[in-house]
Amino acid sequence: MDNEVGHPDRPLARGEAGSKGAAVEIRRIKDALDAVIIEADDNLEGTVDHIYASDLMSDVLAFGKPNSILLTGLATRQAVISAHMAEFKGVVFIRGKTPKDGSDHFARDHHLVLLSTHLDMYDACLRIESVKRGETPAAQPAAVAGGEELLLSRELVINGNDFASAGMVSTEVKSVLKTIGLDPKLVRRVAISTYEGEMNVVMHAKRARVALSVTPHIIEVVIADEGKGIPDVNLAMQEGYTTATEEMRAMGFGSGMGLPNIKKNADELLINSEVGRGTTLVMRFKI
Amino acid sequence: MTTKDLIDKVGLRPLSTFEHRDVNGVFVSDMLSDVMAGAKSGNLWLTVQTHKSIVPAANLVDVAAIVVTGGKDVPQETVDLASKYNIAILVSDLPTFELVGKLYALGSFAR
Amino acid sequence: MAECLHQWTMTNVQFGFVVFEKCFHCNSLGTYFSVEDTPILGDKYREGDCYWSRVENAQSFRFDLECPLCGRRENFHELMGLMHCPGCPADCGVDAIRRKYEAERTWVLVAFGFIYKDKRGPLPQEKVDILTDYFNQRRDTTRSRIKIVSFDLIKDLSVCRGDFIHDVGMLSQEPVTERKPLF
Repeated sequence: MDNEVGHPDRPLARGEAGSKGAAVEIRRIKDALDAVIIEADDNLEGTVDHIYASDLMSDVLAFGKPNSILLTGLATRQAVISAHMAEFKGVVFIRGKTPKDGSDHFARDHHLVLLSTHLDMYDACLRIESVKRGETPAAQPAAVAGGEELLLSRELVINGNDFASAGMVSTEVKSVLKTIGLDPKLVRRVAISTYEGEMNVVMHAKRARVALSVTPHIIEVVIADEGKGIPDVNLAMQEGYTTATEEMRAMGFGSGMGLPNIKKNADELLINSEVGRGTTLVMRFKI
Repeated sequence: MTTKDLIDKVGLRPLSTFEHRDVNGVFVSDMLSDVMAGAKSGNLWLTVQTHKSIVPAANLVDVAAIVVTGGKDVPQETVDLASKYNIAILVSDLPTFELVGKLYALGSFAR
Repeated sequence: MAECLHQWTMTNVQFGFVVFEKCFHCNSLGTYFSVEDTPILGDKYREGDCYWSRVENAQSFRFDLECPLCGRRENFHELMGLMHCPGCPADCGVDAIRRKYEAERTWVLVAFGFIYKDKRGPLPQEKVDILTDYFNQRRDTTRSRIKIVSFDLIKDLSVCRGDFIHDVGMLSQEPVTERKPLF
């Protein structure tokens, strides 16, 4: 890439994509970004030739090349439609944004992959760049990544402040895992961790997407919320530290054991939080 | 790394007049509202926007420089306003993703 | 106890649109914040004698500022946006302040509240001052400072030619070259 862009005799045409690197599998992009699947069908196995990072749809249409994936902070159906018109293969929404306006139906009908990552645009570009260069991104621990066979995947939603439904998602996760015949002790650890994560969303966030993935070696639960974020993750990891209100505690929630309890039960816990945006928990369990 | 280093190493074209300053990170967005909410003082801001309102947005959050990507033409009124407020406007012919790749290769802004 | 010196952080960020509507009967302007996903330009409805038509959508966001030291939290739901003053009519109240502050390397921006039938909604001065503090805390103030003033200082909105720090035309399929004056 560097030869091509730095050559003074042969400057690139305006806006022309400089990278003609090898095709990248969409699944590797998803893994590198710790992304949640909004819509994928079986298109995750495809590849893209270019990455196009923009929030400006007129640019996507003018300069985007076929067989690209769009990274954008514009979480609306128009972004998905623009990507489709520019013959892109999919859209990654950054900073945990997810469109709620029927984008997923449009994507399904037109075989587009829709992903959502908690990363910002720069970090998302960096991670994909390092994948293109054949490096393992530092923040990407070996787990569901690496093209392991996916035995099961499930997407669920938790709504903030919905105490009536609190626990439904972890119950669903538990029953799904039980039906595929996993060790009940392991299932219990996953269920407890998911429940703690779910309660945090109900108490503190607007909503969250939950992605459950199972490979022959790993169970991964990702809870990506849109919420207040955690100003000090280390503090939040301390037992008994809580920001729950008196009312919540009166109901028996918010004893300040949530994150420590997840840490105890999961083999690996990654927390990425941005104040004012939200928190993503990645919990992994070895099978 | 300073704005001067970046101009030399990444081949950015300066358009406005400004004092060089340190760059401590990169923020990528084409939305001014995102910049207001998320960019940090001293960041290099990559965008395809060229309307003159990028200047007060950059000024508000004190970014080190605006980098217009994709080789876009920047209107003279945008450049003049940036010069007035001592804000660097630099242009790259690379699209945003490819420019991030080049910045990544410098090794100074990895996270 | 000493009074808290507040270190503001932005929180509870909510993305949406600032919608600009014009009545094509009396030509008055109205603005409001909307969290809908796909706002449509040209939407029309009638309200009493007014026939509102949506003339512009700007992608924007709402937020609160919170001081983690003392727990104080202020929402900025009255804030429509910030505007850069180009110094159009020389007798506008903003322009005089702008020239005075710019001499001291302090850049002035105008905070707008929402507008209904050309009337300005309230924007408490205390919140305007908190915004000034917040943006100064985010910057290297040895180089320059920010001063945010209220749109109450604008003498005549109908002749104001300032530029909002707003995102317009993000969804447009054609590049947007000119911005329409909103007032």
